[in-house]
Amino acid sequence: MDLTLLLQSALAGLTNGFVYALIGLGLSVIFRGTRIINAMQGEFALIGGMASYVLLESLGVALPVAALGGAVLGGITGVLVEAVLVRPMRRRGASEESYLLLTLGVAFAISAAVLYFFGRDARLLPGIGGEASALFFDAAIRVHAIWLIVIASAVMALLWLFYHRTVVGLSMMAASVDEQGATTVGINVPLMRTLTFLLGGLVGGLAGVLVSPLITIHYEMGLLLTLKGFAAAILGGLANPFGAVVGGVTLGLVESGAVLYFASGYKDVVSMVILIVIMIVMPNGMLGRGARKGG
Amino acid sequence: MSVLDITNLEAGYGGMPVLHGVALSVGRNESVAVIGANGSGKSTLVRAICGLIPILAGEVRLGDVSLQAIPAHLRVGRGIAAVLEGRHLFGELSVRDNLRLAAAHGARLRPGARRFDVAQVGALFPFLGGRMDSAVELLSGGEQQMVAIARALLLNPDLLILDEPSTGLAPKVVREIMAVIARLRESGMSILLIEQNVALAAECADRAYVMAVGRVVHEIHAGQWSTFRQDETLLRAYLGGAAGPAS
Repeated sequence: MDLTLLLQSALAGLTNGFVYALIGLGLSVIFRGTRIINAMQGEFALIGGMASYVLLESLGVALPVAALGGAVLGGITGVLVEAVLVRPMRRRGASEESYLLLTLGVAFAISAAVLYFFGRDARLLPGIGGEASALFFDAAIRVHAIWLIVIASAVMALLWLFYHRTVVGLSMMAASVDEQGATTVGINVPLMRTLTFLLGGLVGGLAGVLVSPLITIHYEMGLLLTLKGFAAAILGGLANPFGAVVGGVTLGLVESGAVLYFASGYKDVVSMVILIVIMIVMPNGMLGRGARKGG
Repeated sequence: MSVLDITNLEAGYGGMPVLHGVALSVGRNESVAVIGANGSGKSTLVRAICGLIPILAGEVRLGDVSLQAIPAHLRVGRGIAAVLEGRHLFGELSVRDNLRLAAAHGARLRPGARRFDVAQVGALFPFLGGRMDSAVELLSGGEQQMVAIARALLLNPDLLILDEPSTGLAPKVVREIMAVIARLRESGMSILLIEQNVALAAECADRAYVMAVGRVVHEIHAGQWSTFRQDETLLRAYLGGAAGPAS
């Protein structure tokens, strides 16, 4: 095997892996905090990417501001979904599966709305560093992809610190571990759930902003991202947000490795087969239950 | 002047009352027990006071404030801290994080009411010092109970509610917990103790209410403990004979 080719594929896999990791991280944050499997996590990315594009191209805002705006709009969407849809359902005692249906429905609605307002055109955000590439030995990697990995890593580290070192983060964890215990300690549990969706939406929106210079923004991008993110989160153990990072990177690397042997059209087949096998063999994810502690 | 005043309370689950017209009060610096057999409504009473289930009728007053309209999590700010049955700790989090959360929310919701800090509860439960970084779920039942009491104290309550703190624990551990409750009484903390074991209740409380099927059926006034504990008929009628060992 050609070493350069192998390295090239590893770099591509790493980049995709961090995108899956970010989507999976958002999914897992929401699952951990609310026990809801959020089938619209990829839609946060669609909204984030599209909002950045509109801010940048139509309103002429600077790229960093547009990027931030995309992430924030993802967060706002999360808060709205929780406050307007999830909360009333919870008050009426909805079952866990009904939230999956709810978020799936919202995902289709958002996808359709984007199709209606923005059409079928695929849009591309400019990357950080434009189209420039860096050489890593003989393999090339987009400068933007390096930034994607750096920013995603920073977000993951910040999120870890937030959950472990701040009172609000700890309170969110406490509310998810024991709702009644949290209430008797003075934690506003419904507010913590809303904050959970805010975080999930922010991370999802940011994922969309970061990925949009690499894959195009279009109305159908959400569902595939959700699936990949879900695979990443499942691989790492759904209840452990940082397992999604391990899962995402693994998934990205395996996918890009598979492309070396199979036609690239089979990439998704490979990742979904891995997902199925992992779920059968290791139902608690690659890190197992032990690694969930405090995650 | 009472800290807690409950009149004609009806509360239950899914709109079905479990408590029927319960009335009781806890005075300042007083320790009051609620005793009764399983299913007599003791824990339902605690959950209604804490706001975990709705009050269907009657009133729960804390000092001069009616709790009915106050959301559960804000009742901490009115001066209630409860150790629920089953403890409801944050098992995956460390002892330190469990205590830190209570200290932070206690300080936020009750500014100026600071009576306990982490160092002080550490002095009350010396074992905590060495276990601060353990996940709570890895501690023994007795240690968990102590963390739960420490967590409640860090909320700086006027009224500490303890729901069956002795259940399922070894006699030696029960003694340790009783000793802590005794020290809290001496310090002037008002306590509402839910307990099945009459001997323990007698040791820890000035007086008591006996509950059966959702009602207060008997009151044990200060100084009447020994009379009550010698009255076989009462014990059998209200507690099914489960009076616990004499001490």
